[in-house]
Amino acid sequence: MPEDNRRRLTIVGGFLGSGKTTWLRHQLHHGAFGRAIVIVNEAAETSVDDVLLQQAARVEVVAGGCACCEALPELLSLLRRLADERTRTGDEDGAPAQLVLETSGLADPGPIVDAIRSDPMLAYHVVVSEIVVTVDGLYGLRHLREEPLGRRQVELADRIVIAKAEAAEPEALRRLAATLAAINPGAVVSGAAKGEPVALPDHSGIEPEPLAAPAIAGPPIRALKIELGDGTDWPAFSVWLSALLHARGDDILRVKGVVETPAGRLLLQSVRKTMQSPEILPPRADSPAGEDNSLVFIGRGFTASQLERSLRHFAGQERKNP
Amino acid sequence: MCANCGFPAAPGHWTDAGADSAHERLRNRLRRAKVLQSILPGYGLTAHDGGQVPGIQIGSLSGNQTIVRDLDEAWEVAEKLAGKPVDPLDPRFIGEDEDA
Repeated sequence: MPEDNRRRLTIVGGFLGSGKTTWLRHQLHHGAFGRAIVIVNEAAETSVDDVLLQQAARVEVVAGGCACCEALPELLSLLRRLADERTRTGDEDGAPAQLVLETSGLADPGPIVDAIRSDPMLAYHVVVSEIVVTVDGLYGLRHLREEPLGRRQVELADRIVIAKAEAAEPEALRRLAATLAAINPGAVVSGAAKGEPVALPDHSGIEPEPLAAPAIAGPPIRALKIELGDGTDWPAFSVWLSALLHARGDDILRVKGVVETPAGRLLLQSVRKTMQSPEILPPRADSPAGEDNSLVFIGRGFTASQLERSLRHFAGQERKNP
Repeated sequence: MCANCGFPAAPGHWTDAGADSAHERLRNRLRRAKVLQSILPGYGLTAHDGGQVPGIQIGSLSGNQTIVRDLDEAWEVAEKLAGKPVDPLDPRFIGEDEDA
């Protein structure tokens, strides 16, 4: 079974001024990303923070535009250059370096993931492993209320960090955490103060902020889990899921899960319509049972039961009409 | 552009990831074609994959034939030919909703 030798890319996003750099600097300082290559995307032409430079193995800058739109070609060519370089010189200590992209505060992570996935070279070299989004402890609710982009960033996150948590009143923090959990129930929400993790006050039972249009349009986004059962019929499953993403990709923000196949345990991850090349996970030895052969869907306009019935139909059709 | 590496020139489609032997890949293709053949006629479309040449043939009942490389292309072509996307959440696939 081939080992997945692609470099992991963590995307750190979040609205303008929400605390991305402070959080990232702290993580790098504590070695959270190992020997990382950090790519900093600045919407404006500004210099890179000295501290960041010192902590990271290496910093590259994509400046003068957002990495999701006008600076996307520049980001892709930088990633290709890094891949070329790695092909020529090999990995420094035998393991692929972690890549960390800090986006500009105006970037939508979706198009970046799409572009990397659909680039014929990069698909072999880079896999987006996590999207971390910081939310301003003080102004986060306002961003969510007034900025559709701020909401989109939160919707796509795997992990949400409420930065500047020390600056907000506990009541406001509770409200913000409850609102974030309502927007993206699939993400892990944590707090940080100057980069240090801090506990958030319990927000269970707190009403989320009612977000008016255009912020909330249509039914709310929910995270649903469906069980695939053992012995997944991969061809039927892949026909089904690809059709579903094609037809409903605007409403399905993320799909995540591990599926057992004859080719190994495949980690499936999509962002909107784009499915990343699945990572092949090692055989299950230490991970807890029960997580395999289930998929999490984050989106709107469907129920778990509808998804399960639909999949059953796709998988069972042939048996009914041989 | 790709500077290394023994990999094929275009990345494999994710829907092909579930097979890692030639035998398994062929089995998957034939099974996939069967599933498509059970779904597409409801949209006035046909599917064929004999396993001999690369690609899936998608056709309309009026005789239009297109060969697609992967399932993403298949759904795009199907939408074009049928005038609407093949939606797995259509009532024809999930039945009447008891939980709507």
